[in-house]
Amino acid sequence: MRESIIMKIHYGTALGAVALVTIHILFRMTQNFSESLQYQNVIANYHLLPYALMLEVVLILLSVHGFNGLRVILLELKQGIVYEKLINYGSIGAMAALIAYGSRTILMAGMGMS
Amino acid sequence: MTERMSNREGLKGMANPTRYGLERVAYWLQRLSGLGLLAYLIGHIYETSSIVNGKIAWDKMLELTQTTQGHLILTLVIGMCVYHTANGIRVMLGQGGIGVGKPGQPEYPYKAASLNYKQRLCIWVSIALAALAMMYGMAVLFGD
Repeated sequence: MRESIIMKIHYGTALGAVALVTIHILFRMTQNFSESLQYQNVIANYHLLPYALMLEVVLILLSVHGFNGLRVILLELKQGIVYEKLINYGSIGAMAALIAYGSRTILMAGMGMS
Repeated sequence: MTERMSNREGLKGMANPTRYGLERVAYWLQRLSGLGLLAYLIGHIYETSSIVNGKIAWDKMLELTQTTQGHLILTLVIGMCVYHTANGIRVMLGQGGIGVGKPGQPEYPYKAASLNYKQRLCIWVSIALAALAMMYGMAVLFGD
């Protein structure tokens, strides 16, 4: 993929994440902060389908943005065919692993498998 | 010196925020806050995953994170998040050609149009917003 397209994805994921993370934080502010973190409250959040879907989208946006940012930093640091391939595929792998692990939590908590 | 001239300072060069003015500091903070936020994201996903192990595991995790140190880290995360967002929007607009001035004939004393007062102001505003958000975050976290 062309770097210009990757940068557009980078900026797009950033803007999307800013909007959705704001909603995520506002959810914690609907009540006292420590109260909102109580087990029942958090589980209730996961059971709310639109919110759980939003968390999944946030997870994908932040993982893509975060690991692409790390990839850019690492590619600025050093160049070389093998190194660049390693960084590119490593970033995609780490991104996929984080999304999979986070999705597992959303799915299990949302379906009451805890 | 030879190494510096050959532009091969590597990580040391990247980690140095000095020599190139405020824009370089903004770039350095953007990178640093990005790395910090990525580390937090990974930690946050691991932290929240404890909910699938039941109430006891969740409460145990809260005991670890809902401490003074945990709140201080969260305050730092708030600051990094706000700075990264505000400065990121500045960079995005700049790459789209907004707020970087018009290209012109280079004339002495060769001031780059892109490094104008608007850009500098945006950097300071980003830092100020981050500081304000950190203060508000502290009030919420420690006010409980």
